[in-house]
Amino acid sequence: MRSVVPFLLAAFSLPAQRPPHNGPEPAAPDWQVLTGGTVHTEPGKPPLDGASVVIRAGRIVAVNPDGATPSGARAWDCSGLSIYAAFLDAHVGVDAPVDESRPTDHWSVNVLARRSALGGAGIDGKTADTLRKLGFGAAAIAPNDGVFRGAGAVVTLEVPQDGERRHVVRSDCYQSLGFRSRGDRNDYPRAQMGVIALMRQTLSDADWHRDNGASPKPDLEALTADTTLLFDTTDELEALRATKVAREFGRPALLLGSGTEFRRLDALQACQLPIVVPLAFAAPPRIDSIQARESVTLRQMLTWEHAPTNPRRLIDRGLTVALTTGKLGKRSRFHDRLRKAAKHGLTHDQAHAALTTTPARLLGVDDRLGRIAPGLMANLVVVDGRLGGEKFETRSIWIRGRHHEIETPPRVELAGRWSAALGLGGAQVDALEFETNRKATVLAGDMKVQAKRVRCRERQVDLTFDAEPLGGTGVVTLNAVVDPKRMFGSGVDASGRRFGWSARRTGELAAEAGANKEKSDEEFRARLDVELPVPFGAFGVTELPQKRSLIVRADRIWTSGPNGVVDNGAMLIRDGKIAWVGPASEAPSGIDAALVDASGLQVTPGLIDCHSHTGISRGVNEGTQAVTSEVRVQDVINPDDIGWYRELAGGLTAANQLHGSANPIGGQNSVVKLRWGVDHPDDMRLAGAPGGIKFALGENVKQSNRGNDYRTRYPQTRMGVEALMVDRFSRARDYAESLARGDKARRDLELEALAEILAGTRFVHCHSYRQDEILMLCRIAEQFDFTIGTFQHGLECYKVAEAVRKVARGASIFTDWWAYKFEVFDAIPQNGAILHEVGVTVSFNSDSNELARRMNGEAAKGVKYGGVAPADALKFVTLNPARQLGVEDRIGSLEKGKDADFVIWSGDPLSSMSRCLATYIDGQRYWSDEQDRELRRAVRAERERLFQILLTLDDSEFEDGENNGDDAALEYDNFPGECGCCDAEEAR
Amino acid sequence: MIRILSSITLVATPAFAQDLTPKAGPQRAPVAILDATLHTIDRGVIPGGTIWFEDGVIRGIHGASEDFALPEDTRRINGRGLHVYPGLIGANTTVGLQEISSVRATRDENEVGDMTPEARAAVAVNPDSTVIPVTRQNGVLTVGVIPAGGLVPGRAAVMQLAGWTWEEMAIEQDCGLVVQWPSRSTRSRRGGRSENDGADEQRQQIDKAFREARAYLEARANDSNLPTDIRLEAFGPALRGEKPVMIRADQLEQIQSAITWAVDLGVRPVLLGGRDAMLCLDLLREHDVGVVITGTHRLPKRRDAAVDEPFRVPARLAESGLRWCLASSSPFYNERNLPYHAATAVAHGLDHDTALRAITLSAAEMLGVGDKLGSLTVGKLATLMITDGDPLEYTTRVRRAFVSGRDVDLSSKQSRLAEKYREKYRQMGLIR
Repeated sequence: MRSVVPFLLAAFSLPAQRPPHNGPEPAAPDWQVLTGGTVHTEPGKPPLDGASVVIRAGRIVAVNPDGATPSGARAWDCSGLSIYAAFLDAHVGVDAPVDESRPTDHWSVNVLARRSALGGAGIDGKTADTLRKLGFGAAAIAPNDGVFRGAGAVVTLEVPQDGERRHVVRSDCYQSLGFRSRGDRNDYPRAQMGVIALMRQTLSDADWHRDNGASPKPDLEALTADTTLLFDTTDELEALRATKVAREFGRPALLLGSGTEFRRLDALQACQLPIVVPLAFAAPPRIDSIQARESVTLRQMLTWEHAPTNPRRLIDRGLTVALTTGKLGKRSRFHDRLRKAAKHGLTHDQAHAALTTTPARLLGVDDRLGRIAPGLMANLVVVDGRLGGEKFETRSIWIRGRHHEIETPPRVELAGRWSAALGLGGAQVDALEFETNRKATVLAGDMKVQAKRVRCRERQVDLTFDAEPLGGTGVVTLNAVVDPKRMFGSGVDASGRRFGWSARRTGELAAEAGANKEKSDEEFRARLDVELPVPFGAFGVTELPQKRSLIVRADRIWTSGPNGVVDNGAMLIRDGKIAWVGPASEAPSGIDAALVDASGLQVTPGLIDCHSHTGISRGVNEGTQAVTSEVRVQDVINPDDIGWYRELAGGLTAANQLHGSANPIGGQNSVVKLRWGVDHPDDMRLAGAPGGIKFALGENVKQSNRGNDYRTRYPQTRMGVEALMVDRFSRARDYAESLARGDKARRDLELEALAEILAGTRFVHCHSYRQDEILMLCRIAEQFDFTIGTFQHGLECYKVAEAVRKVARGASIFTDWWAYKFEVFDAIPQNGAILHEVGVTVSFNSDSNELARRMNGEAAKGVKYGGVAPADALKFVTLNPARQLGVEDRIGSLEKGKDADFVIWSGDPLSSMSRCLATYIDGQRYWSDEQDRELRRAVRAERERLFQILLTLDDSEFEDGENNGDDAALEYDNFPGECGCCDAEEAR
Repeated sequence: MIRILSSITLVATPAFAQDLTPKAGPQRAPVAILDATLHTIDRGVIPGGTIWFEDGVIRGIHGASEDFALPEDTRRINGRGLHVYPGLIGANTTVGLQEISSVRATRDENEVGDMTPEARAAVAVNPDSTVIPVTRQNGVLTVGVIPAGGLVPGRAAVMQLAGWTWEEMAIEQDCGLVVQWPSRSTRSRRGGRSENDGADEQRQQIDKAFREARAYLEARANDSNLPTDIRLEAFGPALRGEKPVMIRADQLEQIQSAITWAVDLGVRPVLLGGRDAMLCLDLLREHDVGVVITGTHRLPKRRDAAVDEPFRVPARLAESGLRWCLASSSPFYNERNLPYHAATAVAHGLDHDTALRAITLSAAEMLGVGDKLGSLTVGKLATLMITDGDPLEYTTRVRRAFVSGRDVDLSSKQSRLAEKYREKYRQMGLIR
């Protein structure tokens, strides 16, 4: 059914009604036959040498392997050339206008699903021209901006005749989605997690609208259940995120890749979504100074080195891959890139399929495009050379039977040795050696000189050289015309004498003089055929640490559990869980387990940071709206953040990843274990952890420290904060009641999260400072009958400890931060001790990638300020945060049955002079001092190896690339060394 | 509306920036601490020793077996089981110049304009800053107060953390002219790097200012009719070599260029920051440049760096033979954490005694007050503390502190708030 409409369109548009011709009517045969070429009918089938392809009325009518040509057809000689089905680009972004807003349109400027790529000017003439030159006969065009960008359409790329609209092969081939939002800084969404929330809500709305919608909603109606979603991704993590959204809503989907998919190949492979892959390869980083060398990352260099293997690696993993010309600095470089990909292992057949049958199938136009077979559209490209080969020059392209000559200037390759006989006074030139068309050496006996300027245009070459080093005088100018074997030319010497000369090609230059610096292809492939580290770059690993039975013996084990502090302790670990813990003298004997000998050392539970912003991709705050309970940090976990590795090195094993504090009701949290090196970001999540959500009060949400541009968003006072929260909880209660009654209410993800708070299944983690606001939230919790998870920071909790104790699971606070803004002026380091004395469960948190590496020291400050007993103070960073997060049955203490997350310390964990020696999660050693030393050595060696390659590259190679090696690197330190809550930002 | 808000701020500010901790006056009677472990820094540890001071100056240090006499009116402190250390010195802070980061009205560290050598940190230090007692509580008794921003932000001061006025606090009102050496690559907020195209021009601007000042001073020496230019006058002590130029620079190229500049100009450089100092040791040694290293509690600047890179900088410097000291990288309100920066360096290879010296005597030397502070030495100021343990250890408490002999109160706004609210819970019967 789907294909009928475009088919009809095609049938009507071909014999178009035209105005009377001005002058004699031209007549041309409507039969054409391409003869003598090598016909690549479709990938996987052997090419047909000398077959003829007959086309008529825009279609292929026959492919004759014997080369038969019907009489009456115009014959086109394609001898020596290859014929492919013209290529199909599955995504070319175009501008598409946004209509005047109508009441039926979606409220968000980022939901433009109603739009069609056909609504605008479409593909511009210049882009179409470039694509034809590259051998493309058709392309799917799609609007460029927004989150839901609108429908794509497959159009052909012939030069339109007067007044003709571009031919549409298929409209609505997919709905295009992107992770970059449009609009200004106040428009929702800004953060990546907001973008994903908007995708989720809108798809949910589309499903609801289908069954329940009354009034027309063009944006939702455009998102039917069988609409293919194409996600435009800018890195491999976005590709994983896109896959999750598509799966959640059972939508067919396609990925428009970034070219960096190889950095997380295993996870990508598991996605099984087809990918439209750009040949965007990172440019080599420049390292021409010590400083530049220090600054460049291994991740950047490895991205540069391996990017050309991306298409091949994806196909080898069984993924469906189409290639696109998009995302290149210059689209016209496409075949250079393809050549590079081929050199890196992409086969001719793979490239062929990725440009023809695969995109045709993905776009649902394989009945008309992608192969050379009778009945298909006459889209053919005639090429001198071979896909992915050293040479690929488009000679002509046929689109819907229309012939387009591609003007390629006749070119000659001068590279090689040319013998000449050329007397120049004292000098006797006997050869010219061309390295390239722009670089030549003039030889006279055993003397030689580099030609000064070499220019080659079409088939003519001009050069000058200094004859003095050859025994002549002055500078000589030469010119010649070139055929493949000979040069015929004239020249002028320093005396003005003109002369004729000729040369004959006598051989190739020795291989080592050429540009190819690789010792051999085999060595080159071997270098690239390595398993890639995860996370990609320094300190990445190729396999996860072993999980096996362990017996740990240590001088002291701080269990944070019922066993208290055990001197000369032992702990038995099986299947990643603690099987036994106690005094070594009582340890079960005869156990088959590897010994972890920590004698002379001390062991604690893995440390837990109850307030972290490490590893949150592209925006910690969705601060455009006062309430964003629909956004989820778990959607944007960034497992590549080097912060994780550094924190592991400080004994941290779990973290509560929180949304920022820019709005009163922020996003949902994510509780992760620091499983460095897992394939998928979700593999970091602590399964079964109850949901949480960030709330915030005070100066940040009032935008108090943000200047005069931020004085309009409600709330601007603590009064407004309270009112807003009461309002939202009232609405959430109504929503929950309505659902309970069985109303077919639209699923509202914002209210759903708030209703979960009311139901007790989602914990509020509330950024808060002053006692008034802390008490206010306590009263709201009482009014709406829910328990608060934590007061985060809660720097004045010590003033209302009795209220906090009553309604909150605990307070998760800074130890000694204060004075960075007015509302923290009464913060005191004794806060934790006082709360602890009153009976509040206290944790100390970091809110900082830097502090998160030394949380044991924060615990020690609990002893210092207020005299908390050491074992209790340690609980501030172990058991207590686990309780606050509702995961105390899994982590936080060393007890039988709990996860074997523990740390080995060089001495007393509360000493400022102890350090972490090893960190275990689930009984697996994710970090150790000795392993780290090995990795450092490996990092240094890898860096040096790559530096040596980079330092031998030609200057021109640094210009070539999309420079995407560093994009993710920009995210590593979201808010360098500081609090991601806006606090430190405001403070600066 | 705006006007109303700002006037509220103005009214409110003085109220919350004033601390009510009692102040000690100058020392009136001799004080002796008897039978304590004396950590002299310059002459090792003296167990069971006695130290006594009078008029703010250390008069005697005696071993357990030595005979000595104390003046009759000496107040005696039993130091048994306790330790005496010189006060810690935070060499690179803005304590006293800032009260609350986000409240502009409480900030005085950054004068308007790129070139403000005339600005003197000493005169803007608020003796009643609430930050002072909080800092003091942890044994940090002296600070280098260093103005920030621009290219030549002003002149630094060495201030003791006791005194009724800034004059009483000042150990050295002008301890050096601060220069912020421009970096060619700056770090963006999101962690990326970008080129600072203006850096070379800014560097020339600094050079030009110093040379103009020199010309002015020479001219003025010969022609007293030349009108006074206080800005150019302010370069004088640094240009004459009486005071160092304290140059902030961290990156290799930045340090190289800054030191070369200073040497060419003939001024005496001290490096503030010095992250990449290890990469240009020969240059720093050749010109005997001292380095005030910025803290260990920092993240490595580069993704590929070893996780402990900042932790190990002091240990590596100690091996280099350079003159150096350790400052904190904590914000002004947490200068109290200075000893823990040193402790982290110890955990990662620095000798313990060297670490202690790096935040006492070495810091005093870098600030040009090594003859007055930084060790328990007869003749030096009696700025010292009595502790129940190693001050580098988190759990150690400072029991008592003297600043130039002033017996300072170790309570603070924070300890009083803690006490105030403990009382609340006592009244409620929630704690004992």
